[in-house]
Amino acid sequence: MLVAIVVLAAATILIKGAGSLLPEIPDAVAARLGGLAPALLAALVITELTGADGIPRLDAKAAGVGVAVVLAAVRAPFAVCVVAGAAVAAVLRLA
Amino acid sequence: MGSGQYRLVAPTERGRERGAWAAIAPVVAAVGVFGISYGVLASAAGVPAWETVMMSMLVFAGSAQFAAVSSFAIGSPAGAVVSGVLLNSRYLATGAAAAPVLPGGRWRRFLLAQLVVDESFALGVGAGSPERPDGRMLVTAGAAEWLCWVTGSAIGALLGPVLGDPQRLGLDAAFPALFVALLRPMLDRSDAVKSAVAGLAVAAILRPFVPSGVALAGAAVAGLLAYR
Repeated sequence: MLVAIVVLAAATILIKGAGSLLPEIPDAVAARLGGLAPALLAALVITELTGADGIPRLDAKAAGVGVAVVLAAVRAPFAVCVVAGAAVAAVLRLA
Repeated sequence: MGSGQYRLVAPTERGRERGAWAAIAPVVAAVGVFGISYGVLASAAGVPAWETVMMSMLVFAGSAQFAAVSSFAIGSPAGAVVSGVLLNSRYLATGAAAAPVLPGGRWRRFLLAQLVVDESFALGVGAGSPERPDGRMLVTAGAAEWLCWVTGSAIGALLGPVLGDPQRLGLDAAFPALFVALLRPMLDRSDAVKSAVAGLAVAAILRPFVPSGVALAGAAVAGLLAYR
């Protein structure tokens, strides 16, 4: 875990600082980088909801995420989405 | 009232400063709360408190740190590096845009560029323009955010063990809920929607056959290709 954190930190520091050390990044590359974060965040939702076999699971966690999606769609504040998602999963597990 | 007339032409230094802090304050408050939630989730994932805080000091990038911690939670440090690095690749673009407006020589700029993250960049663009963000705002806002992020992380990391069993509290569902909440404001741009859909589809198709890190890398490529 520590090694992973150190590697991630070193890579991030180089990524953030690259623009100060290197000549300009081609505009075509820089413009496309905007597609990374939305694609990865959407993919992370999927990988979070799949079990060890890689198939999405319809459980308390998925229900919590469903509620978070609805709240995000109506532009609820960030913290409300997260807390509501966790709370729904917690309550369903009590049942 | 000569001074009043002068102020119409150029705002006083103090007035400008006050305006800057009025823009920064709500953002850093949100970053602090975000940091607390990161600390709590990192603790739930079994990351020691000092490593949690160290990651905030050095990586200083919310979504990448949350993604890394969610990988640690399922025992995949390699996945943490892959998803974190991929998410942070966007800072190549913001770092390049910020470099010309940061003060000092290239090494000083290299250091100050560490403070350029989504929120400080947005504030810098707000005080300047997308092509030329305001360098002073970038550094001031970035430093304030860094302080709140690290402090919040420490509070969360200490709070986490007190809260108890993460599953019982639904904290595992907090991760994907958080990714949804992070994604939502990005979807105001139609090219970002294309990337999100492409990433989601590729990850869902690949995931039964490959580990999470590989599925995420595939999603990243799809996101790059689908953008624009």
